[in-house]
Amino acid sequence: MTRYPFVQWIKPYIFFLFFLPLSGIAQFGQTSQVSLQLVSETTTLQPGQTHWLALHMRIGGGWHTYWRNPGDTGLETSIDWQLPAGISAGEMRWPVPEVIAEPPLYTFGYHGSLYYLIPLTVAENYQGADKISIKAEVNWLECKEVCLPGSQVIELGLTVSAQQAQADAQWQETFAAARSMLPLEESEWQISARYNGDRLQIEALPPEWFSSELTGLQFYPYQTMLVKYADQQTLSRSGKSYLLSVTLDANRTETPSRIEGVLVAEPGWRGEGSEKGLQINIPLTQGQIRQGTANGPASIWLALLFSFLGGIILNLMPCVLPVLSIKILGFVQQAHEEKTKAWHHGALFTGGVLASFWILAGTLLILRAGGEQLGWGFQLQSPLFLIFLSVFMLLFGLSMFGVFEIGTSLTTVANKTQGASGLFGSFISGVTATVVATPCTAPFMGSALGFALTQPAWISMTIFTFLGLGMAAPYVLLSSIPALLKFVPRPGRWMESLKQFMGFLLVATVIWLLWVLGLQAGSNVVIFIMLILLLVSVGGWIYGRWGHLAMPPKTRVIATIIAAVFILAPTVYGLTNWKTFAADVNLGGVTKAEGMAWENFDEEKIQAARAAGRAVFVDFTAAWCLSCQVNEKVAFGNAEVQQAFHDKNILPLKADWTSRDEKITRALAAFGRNSVPLYVYYPAKTGSEPVILPEIISPGIVLEALK
Amino acid sequence: MFYILYFLFLSALLLSGAEAKVGQPAPDFTLTNIDGKQITLHNFTGKWVVLEWINYDCPFVRKHYSAGNMQNLQKTYTEKGVVWLSINSSSPGKQGHFTAAEIHARMSSHKAYNSDYLLDPEGTVGKAFGAKTTPHIFIIDPQGKLIYTGGIDSIRSADPDDIPKATNYVREVLEAVLAGRPSPFSSTESYGCSVKYK
Repeated sequence: MTRYPFVQWIKPYIFFLFFLPLSGIAQFGQTSQVSLQLVSETTTLQPGQTHWLALHMRIGGGWHTYWRNPGDTGLETSIDWQLPAGISAGEMRWPVPEVIAEPPLYTFGYHGSLYYLIPLTVAENYQGADKISIKAEVNWLECKEVCLPGSQVIELGLTVSAQQAQADAQWQETFAAARSMLPLEESEWQISARYNGDRLQIEALPPEWFSSELTGLQFYPYQTMLVKYADQQTLSRSGKSYLLSVTLDANRTETPSRIEGVLVAEPGWRGEGSEKGLQINIPLTQGQIRQGTANGPASIWLALLFSFLGGIILNLMPCVLPVLSIKILGFVQQAHEEKTKAWHHGALFTGGVLASFWILAGTLLILRAGGEQLGWGFQLQSPLFLIFLSVFMLLFGLSMFGVFEIGTSLTTVANKTQGASGLFGSFISGVTATVVATPCTAPFMGSALGFALTQPAWISMTIFTFLGLGMAAPYVLLSSIPALLKFVPRPGRWMESLKQFMGFLLVATVIWLLWVLGLQAGSNVVIFIMLILLLVSVGGWIYGRWGHLAMPPKTRVIATIIAAVFILAPTVYGLTNWKTFAADVNLGGVTKAEGMAWENFDEEKIQAARAAGRAVFVDFTAAWCLSCQVNEKVAFGNAEVQQAFHDKNILPLKADWTSRDEKITRALAAFGRNSVPLYVYYPAKTGSEPVILPEIISPGIVLEALK
Repeated sequence: MFYILYFLFLSALLLSGAEAKVGQPAPDFTLTNIDGKQITLHNFTGKWVVLEWINYDCPFVRKHYSAGNMQNLQKTYTEKGVVWLSINSSSPGKQGHFTAAEIHARMSSHKAYNSDYLLDPEGTVGKAFGAKTTPHIFIIDPQGKLIYTGGIDSIRSADPDDIPKATNYVREVLEAVLAGRPSPFSSTESYGCSVKYK
């Protein structure tokens, strides 16, 4: 949710260390762990306008404060404003809280660092002084096992000016972070609610474009004494709808005609990475509680089944098949030479597969927890990995063609069934199989694994485990039931033919890897790497021609050295120098991902396009603006929207406000804004007024605006 | 026979996991007071009973004791025949769990007028009633039926200055029912610290 979770987490503690003596008030022999800061988004206030203030609350030492509905116990934080005449504060916006469970008591609150946002309106006919001071008396209850009421008056000096208010640069990120933690106020989800007795059912129907799977749905009511917090809320499905079943408080004095609150769910209401909270205020009527199909466990079992089957299918992928065909050949030999302990190899092979899957998935989960935006197959985003893998795959392919043989023979590596080295070989082939399989899993199972990664860590690890088990299953089966090997054909010339055929599959994999590399770093790099691959093949040929066992020892040593130079030197050179040949391709950036040809923002371009009767769409955005990123992914990633842009010949302009840019700041101010996101559509019709879209957009909203 | 029924009732209560509900019989209990005496709720049948969940170190309990508000209520209504039981569900080692001597000292310094101070270190009675906060008030009619659950008054704060401004629910309810009128409140929002269950 936050861009820098670690920083968010550590901040309050740093603050706590240095500012403890200043913070809060002390009562009952204990010191408050809360410190407050009030900041304004703009440097000045403008009569007739609404501006935003942020109250930053830092809570140290694992203590917590409470949400607007504290839950079973606790007390909500409140602000009493003392404002000069002509200035008024609106309703405070609360970030989505967490559930603090101390069974049997459940409360809603916050740990660490959070922001409340408050709208401040200056009257049109403001008559007061230019320099004003506003005071806020903040009252809160902080608890950690025991509770401590806190109160502090904070003051903020502000200037009222008739001039256009300007954003205060030092707080832009603060406000962007603060807004990203608020619940979504509007959405295209259709939410309804009904109750029967003490059962409340909330139904959420996703919009057509919503493609994620909603999990962990919870309702946090604004109303107190409405819901029994201790009872688990259960999620089920009915068609496309999500059904949430909630127990009402049996001691409620009335059942309200509307329910208000926040629905909280993973991965977010506008897809992955978007807002986790959705504010609702909907009618509540008495009605039949519908029976949904169980979500949760059942779908997890299904996910496990599919990952197991997916793992089996992975064996047929061009990246994996050659590695595993070698393994099979090993089994064939084994079946006819030696009958004992075959299952040891199967178990170790499985161990190798699982260990690699765990390391890959674990690394990914840890990196993602650290805030990195990574997906499965993330290693493929690295050109270095692609280069290394293509060299490896090509050498592997050459050895399959019989250009050279590693050691004595690759097949005899699997053949050395006796002793520890043979068993270790089984483990290594499991690792190798997984490492070379991941490039194939990315396009093949990408969305399924993407789902796995949105689940809690233990579920994703279980899904990966089943994927690994599926991949190892055929070998475990073959090795644990030696009788099955009787059906495997006897070794013979067919094995050599199969091996050579597999070589072609490996070359195909190399081509695919180079294509990915080309997308990332341009075609020059592909040619450069292909030259390196040529040198590497020469090295392989030298080793195969003069390095084999039939040659005199001296020739073999010299051949091996020359071959090593041919293979290693270009590879190392390629890995260190590929950047020289890399074109300036936007690495996985927004421009390409959205499939729209954005041009950089320029006021003159707008004038020119409009003069020529062409419509213009401007996207004011910034890399640090989370909702901008989500908006862009959701709205501009949509095929219909892209088609509409194309059909209407709209010029898409991107005003990137990531770094300070006066032109963009001025353009924003012209629309009375000082923040992103802002979406402006200039229709083609000459003299027509620009249309400002809402701050949160969906494909439907954009298409409507373009009409 | 009674104990069998009582046992069945308690089992049903535990199995259903239901908390005490206004309009239903209050869950019966037997607890030890600070002098080691067993106190059983159904022995008070025929009297109005107030249960007050207490934790002397909770700022919200302090609010009402430091201003004398809680003691006034205790004095006023115990003199009118109401039984007032203060119950402490703090588990040993947690805030509000004291030795008998300490409780005696606190009660005399506060000039408490409660009928008894009961110990519920396991939290079973607190959970049976659904006591969430300190203070949390439950009022039981002479037939043993729960007629009120909730806060002591209407202003949810730890500031004693708010007491005169607030609607005192306990007073409103007791004044009405002792005069034979229906209770104006059946359940309100209790506020305060969490009960320090184990």
